[in-house]
Amino acid sequence: MITFSRTMQVTGEFLKEDLLRLRGILEDHIYAMEIQMEVRVPEGVITAIQGTMKRYTTPVCPRAVDFLQNALGLSLRDPDWIPKINREVGRKGCQHFAEILVECGRCLDQVRMSHDLRETLTAQPSVSPFEFNRSWVKNHPEAQNSCLARLQG
Amino acid sequence: MTLSFMRNKIVEVEPQEDGALSVSWRLADSLTEMEMVVKIRPPDLEITEASARVIRSPHLECASAPGSLEKIVGMRVGPGLRKIACGLMGGNAGCAELIEGVLECANAAILHFTVPQIQANAIGTEEERKKRYQDMLRFNPRLVRSCVAFAEDSPLMQGINP
Repeated sequence: MITFSRTMQVTGEFLKEDLLRLRGILEDHIYAMEIQMEVRVPEGVITAIQGTMKRYTTPVCPRAVDFLQNALGLSLRDPDWIPKINREVGRKGCQHFAEILVECGRCLDQVRMSHDLRETLTAQPSVSPFEFNRSWVKNHPEAQNSCLARLQG
Repeated sequence: MTLSFMRNKIVEVEPQEDGALSVSWRLADSLTEMEMVVKIRPPDLEITEASARVIRSPHLECASAPGSLEKIVGMRVGPGLRKIACGLMGGNAGCAELIEGVLECANAAILHFTVPQIQANAIGTEEERKKRYQDMLRFNPRLVRSCVAFAEDSPLMQGINP
């Protein structure tokens, strides 16, 4: 029998060419909460954020919603963005809100690349996705050095 | 507007007959699909087995990512895990998704042990629940100042000397 499970969902939607809405939902045996934030691209600056706690463990937990605003103005390109989120949103507010926020932030360039790939494949169905993705990373240095497939050069 | 991207992650903990925990993890998004199974042995929470499979990926290089998982066998779930896992699995030159997956599996194993405590804490009057949380804090001082519920100005902290 499964004694614990967690589901995390992240969605990305372009509101405008330079404004991305990221939504993150977390549900597990203990917690249920979600956040929504708007991020200016490509800089990755968080321009708006809100969240809801749906299931939590203490009556004090909902106070953490206000601490989401500590993420305003933070850039997802800042080398220390994750420790800052963990400190300003997590430790001061809720670590699970921070987990959702970090998961959303980590998807920033995947959302951008996915969007551009879809547009390209719609116009040119014969394009190789691997070749497009390689070229996309090469042409977007801000997305490099995040994993073995995106090493600079 | 329609979505440009969707990601779904699920991690599940299943106790085995021999007392070990089997933790399965799966990621499926618009670009990537991969899965991982990690076996963790109580009470020291040693990772005794780890394997992964890349089903769909945005880059050709991703196919080699599962090979890094064998390096975490023998590690223990506990403080410093993030730094050790990143180091063993290549950091920025490794697979960021699998590294996070390992940490999420470890987190799920910890939460598996936390569920009974949370269930017990939810029973009784408000004062009884508060007392149980305070007993939990005295037993786990690392929780102090770890979130808003255990911040110094939290009603749960009244009467506790941090």
